[in-house]
Amino acid sequence: MDTLLAWTHALAWAVYVGGSITMEWVLRYAQRTMPPSQVSIVCKRSGSRYRWVGLGALGVAGLTGALLVARIDTGTLLSRPGHPELSLFDPYGQTLATLTVLWALLVAASASMAFSLHPAQSRRSSPEMSQEEIQDERQRVGRAIARMDRVLKFELVASVVSIALGASLRAGGLL
Amino acid sequence: MWSNPDLLTTVLQVIYGILHDLSIAIYIGGAVAMEYVLGPAQNSIPPAQAQVMGQKTADRFIWLVWGSLGVIIITAILRLEALGHIAYGWPILQSTMGLGQDYGRTIWAMLVLWCVLVANGAIMTFYLRPRLSGRLKPGTTSAGVQAAQQAKMEAARWVERITRADIIIAIVIALFGASLRFNGIL
Repeated sequence: MDTLLAWTHALAWAVYVGGSITMEWVLRYAQRTMPPSQVSIVCKRSGSRYRWVGLGALGVAGLTGALLVARIDTGTLLSRPGHPELSLFDPYGQTLATLTVLWALLVAASASMAFSLHPAQSRRSSPEMSQEEIQDERQRVGRAIARMDRVLKFELVASVVSIALGASLRAGGLL
Repeated sequence: MWSNPDLLTTVLQVIYGILHDLSIAIYIGGAVAMEYVLGPAQNSIPPAQAQVMGQKTADRFIWLVWGSLGVIIITAILRLEALGHIAYGWPILQSTMGLGQDYGRTIWAMLVLWCVLVANGAIMTFYLRPRLSGRLKPGTTSAGVQAAQQAKMEAARWVERITRADIIIAIVIALFGASLRFNGIL
């Protein structure tokens, strides 16, 4: 049971972190060589698929993580090198708490991208709009793209830090 | 962690662990994103542009794949060494790495599967990708053009099959890896 939980937990983090690195490192690079009209189509299609993959992976990581913590045997934990404890006064507990906060921030970032920033990038111009309205609409889309950029960068850094914190738990935590 | 007696060993183990886990995440998550996110997105643009996008993304992703596979094996060896499973004397592999132990069998199975991933990566990089990006020479007959297109489509189908097989193999490796904390699964 513990092996299955640990496996599912690791896979969920892998899909999320590896996916966000690939989207940043591979898709962004390919976009530079594409005409703007096609960039928006590819962004829309990949973004709408990735938001469900990302949110699903984070959901599974959170659920299996909570189950793994609930199944921790304090006696076995204490017998590990460094005698880690499930307490906020111990590096192990502090690392676990930080990891939980980062996970919550990543869920918030992914949800904001999926339900707010991504839909905001769709331009809603119509023939009856005035020149000023069209200009405002363009500026609104531009602001949404800039915010999305910042959230993506935060997501990338936070997910890599999460992997580092998770990997350090075997040695008693990083903090 | 910092209160451990052998600080340097612990710090190194943590660094190896972070790099190892990050590489596995990049390999598995990257393959899933390429196959199930970027692939369908690529099909939504005109074929000529989709081919350029496919080439650009695959060129970049290949670096991630080879980098991950390299870091995975190096950090795996370093971690096994740090945990005392590899000794530089005779016998090189201590009893825990022997085929008589669950732990040893699981490690060897992971190594064999890693070799399959490397072989698949080599087939894609050095055999299938050059076929996908091959350009027609001036003066090629229409039959030649059709044959080249057929060959490209066949190569693309093989890339898809191998990528999906790689995802399954990497997921099995992750299962074996997760089981090592409980002394292996085989």
